[in-house]
Amino acid sequence: MPGIVAPMRNTVERLDKPSSYAMSKYKKRKRNDTHTDTTRPASPDLEEKLADATTLYVGNLSFYTTEEQIHALFAKCGELKRLVMGLDRFTKTPCGFCFVEYYTHQDALDCLKYVGGTKLDERIIRCDLDEGFGEGRQYGRGKSGGQVRDEYREEFDPGRGGYGKRFREDQEGFADEYAGGA
Amino acid sequence: MADVENRRDYRGGGRGYNNQKRKRNRDDDDADGYRNMRPRQEAPPGTRIRRGLLEIAEDPLRLPHEVAANVGKLAADNWEDEYVRDTFSGVALKLVVEQPFKIPFVAGVVLYANADNGEIAKDIISQAAPLLQEYLGAGQWREFKLMLRFFACMSQLYEEDGIIPILDELFNRAVDLQTASPDDAVGIELVKIILVTIPYLLAATEDASLQQMASEVLEKTDIVASTPHPIEALVDPYPNTTEQDGKPMACTSVISLMQRQLQEEASNGWQLKCIPRVYDPNHKASAANGDGADETDGEPKEFVKHAFPTITVPSPVNTGTKPLFPEIYFSLYADQEIESVPPTSNIASSLLRDAILDTVNILDFNRNVTARFLNEIDCYWSPGTFVKRATTFDKLRDMSTDKPTWKPEDVAIDAIFSQIYQLPTPEHRLVYYHSLITESCKISPQAIAPSLGRAIRFLFRNVDTMDMELTYRFMDWFGHHLSNFEFRWKWAEWIPELDLSNLHPKKAFIIGTLDKEIQLSFAKRVRDTLPQEYHPLIPQSKENEVPPFKYNDEATSFAKEGREILQMLKKKAPEEDVQNVLNAVHEQAANHGIDPLVASTDIYMTAICSVGSKSLSHVLSTIDRCKERLLAVGSQSEPARRQIISSVVGFWADHPGTAVNIVDKLLNYTIVTPMSVILWALQDHMDRGRALANSQIYELISITMFKVTNRVRQVLRERNNPALPFYQRQQIDEALPRERQGMRDLFAAIEDAVAGVAQGAQDEMIERYDGEEVEQQLIQLWGARWARVWRRKAAVEEAVVGDAVVQPLVEPVEAVEDTVEEVAPVDALGSEDMDQI
Repeated sequence: MPGIVAPMRNTVERLDKPSSYAMSKYKKRKRNDTHTDTTRPASPDLEEKLADATTLYVGNLSFYTTEEQIHALFAKCGELKRLVMGLDRFTKTPCGFCFVEYYTHQDALDCLKYVGGTKLDERIIRCDLDEGFGEGRQYGRGKSGGQVRDEYREEFDPGRGGYGKRFREDQEGFADEYAGGA
Repeated sequence: MADVENRRDYRGGGRGYNNQKRKRNRDDDDADGYRNMRPRQEAPPGTRIRRGLLEIAEDPLRLPHEVAANVGKLAADNWEDEYVRDTFSGVALKLVVEQPFKIPFVAGVVLYANADNGEIAKDIISQAAPLLQEYLGAGQWREFKLMLRFFACMSQLYEEDGIIPILDELFNRAVDLQTASPDDAVGIELVKIILVTIPYLLAATEDASLQQMASEVLEKTDIVASTPHPIEALVDPYPNTTEQDGKPMACTSVISLMQRQLQEEASNGWQLKCIPRVYDPNHKASAANGDGADETDGEPKEFVKHAFPTITVPSPVNTGTKPLFPEIYFSLYADQEIESVPPTSNIASSLLRDAILDTVNILDFNRNVTARFLNEIDCYWSPGTFVKRATTFDKLRDMSTDKPTWKPEDVAIDAIFSQIYQLPTPEHRLVYYHSLITESCKISPQAIAPSLGRAIRFLFRNVDTMDMELTYRFMDWFGHHLSNFEFRWKWAEWIPELDLSNLHPKKAFIIGTLDKEIQLSFAKRVRDTLPQEYHPLIPQSKENEVPPFKYNDEATSFAKEGREILQMLKKKAPEEDVQNVLNAVHEQAANHGIDPLVASTDIYMTAICSVGSKSLSHVLSTIDRCKERLLAVGSQSEPARRQIISSVVGFWADHPGTAVNIVDKLLNYTIVTPMSVILWALQDHMDRGRALANSQIYELISITMFKVTNRVRQVLRERNNPALPFYQRQQIDEALPRERQGMRDLFAAIEDAVAGVAQGAQDEMIERYDGEEVEQQLIQLWGARWARVWRRKAAVEEAVVGDAVVQPLVEPVEAVEDTVEEVAPVDALGSEDMDQI
């Protein structure tokens, strides 16, 4: 733009950017990557990789939220190309996240702007740009099969299987004692 | 806490530079007292100017003209600093095109700065002028309008007539455009820009000669502004009302309204009360540096005047890339018994609406900030424009009549709704405006919820006269909104409407809304939020997530074969085995005089639905597996193809949304064609016109037509894409008329079907409704509403892709470089079969 020395792109922050979580995760990975394998080119920058992204990671879903519900909300930003439910690695039941793929990048951005942070099935959902679904990524990476964040959760969340599984195991010893006392 | 307290006696320096950050980063261990004792470190002036500009007028506790004066002084004192210069102009000019509310304040800062140092205004003008010229040249009308407003707000700076010659030139272009074509909408847009700029110009100056010149412009615009545009009638939100009945709202065009309001304002001596007057020549910046009084340069400097830059209005103007349509002023609250928003006779209604809509539509990339701006809208207009935030509606009754009783919440919500109900389409996806209302509710639930309640009641009360497409937008928003707020609504007040016929628009609205709610949630949850009286609308069967397979019932014809096919699909049996069973069905059907392929297709498709009933992914993968046979069925027989739709809709009868989704995917596979969907719905299943009251039918037709029109638009875009090799564009150009004709045939099919209903012309209808006049009237009403919607949509598509608007394809003179990007597939729809039937 001629004549303008703008140190800023917008006067307010944009919501259609990768979240700070995604950026920090990426930076961490990059730091740990010593890049000894010279046969493989350095992986491109995250922002670059996401420049045409049509997929979103959707988090904080209830385990009971169905594909149809997700479809009903997300189709408000454009036709869905694919919807992959996140599953518990062992039970193969939904574990509270999914990947939504649109036909266009713009639809994915619109979704970040207008749907991320609103409610689905009465929970605030989280959306993040994603570099694209790959086989295997539909499974939870937590020890007990679900998402890592659900392992140690100390709050009771009825939509996501009650207390965290690991947390529950840790507590069980005490619970037995109390049961014995009663 | 300390931050907040500091703020007020800290005027020069924004909000206490970086206190937040310092607290977190370095002072974690410091006691509060220690921090406060330490000598305060000022941020550098560039940083303070940046903050001061960005946050200008946002804080209701600080007087805007003081803030403006201080920022102006700070800039004037540090103008030799390059960073200050870059920051000041960069931020100021970006604010102008991104945050229209702040334009008068930014202009105020420049005026204050000019009183100290003439260089600043000179620099700003010289940087803003090329932008203004660029926006004008590119037909970027919104940016042009805002930048022109910025110039208007600085009118005291200029030696000559300022922007008046530009307004004159714009008017001449508008006349040229209007003369060339009565359908022109760009000329209308130019006139709108002229009209909305005049008030800012006259509020910024008391120069009587400018007032005189503005009045002359206004006399000229009258002829364009007051002539109804031919397309206006098509975008009327309340068309089915005659003048005698009285419309729910005035529905006048935006520019004719503004023309009248300005004439009214002229006769009242141009008071323009709502526009903030930021620059006060007698006001001195106080403590500009934040560290005590700075009164050393006591004597007033001369207010330097500047030459107005040369701006050329091209002839003809570049019409821009966005198709424009005339706008109707939509207001849910205006001109009612209690004046909770400015009446449509008052120029404030147009000025507020224009600034709010630009803010909303520019800042779609951060709905949270936008909602906050709307919540604090009273900060950006002159004091006294609004009543205090969150004043209840009932309190307005008791207010004295000499002051405005405008509720900031109503003004903001009214504007957002005007976008949801904008015809033919608003600038952004409807869900953006939904989310904006949701965020506004989150910011101040007590203030917004009652305003929404009144809006919803207004809309519901008039739902039968509203344009039908808009009633579906209402339904879509309402269902989505409630899903964000625990489905809370006073359903009890609509219980009397439940006695109406299902064909009554109000009842149809209730049924459709509940269905939308269920799609985002589930039947039992929604039923639990409703009074008993509504429960029959959500029968137990809607709770079954997996519908029954009809061939499990021995009474169904071909029950045995149906079950066999189901088992084979589950076991992924070889195709020959499937064919054998279907052959048996064909034979039996033929003996019974039934269309064999229709009977076997019903079995096959119903079994697919049943195998895939667990989720959308399941049914999609099953369809994918079976697509060869389905495609073959469709190409063999049109009745069988339509049976595919019947089977899907029948299987998912209790979940109409799921059926629509599946048909959507079948269209992508070209297993069904757009024409087959339309004729299935509007011919085979018209049910003497009753189908037109069914929201599922409307959705089926809508998704089908959206796919088709979207495709034709994409074809045109690719044809005009200079990045493609010319021979490719020529090929696309040859395909365009065929694609367009396919689309026209579909619109014509809809027209044929619904116009007949509107006229009550269907033979069966006349027989059937002899003596049941009310029902017949309702059905005819639906026919008329459908006809209107689809005629408009057809007209809009013609305005975008029609022969008249498509220029001949000319080979570019210069060979385009080899930067051909990978050509995206036109869309999910296959390239054949668009117009096949």
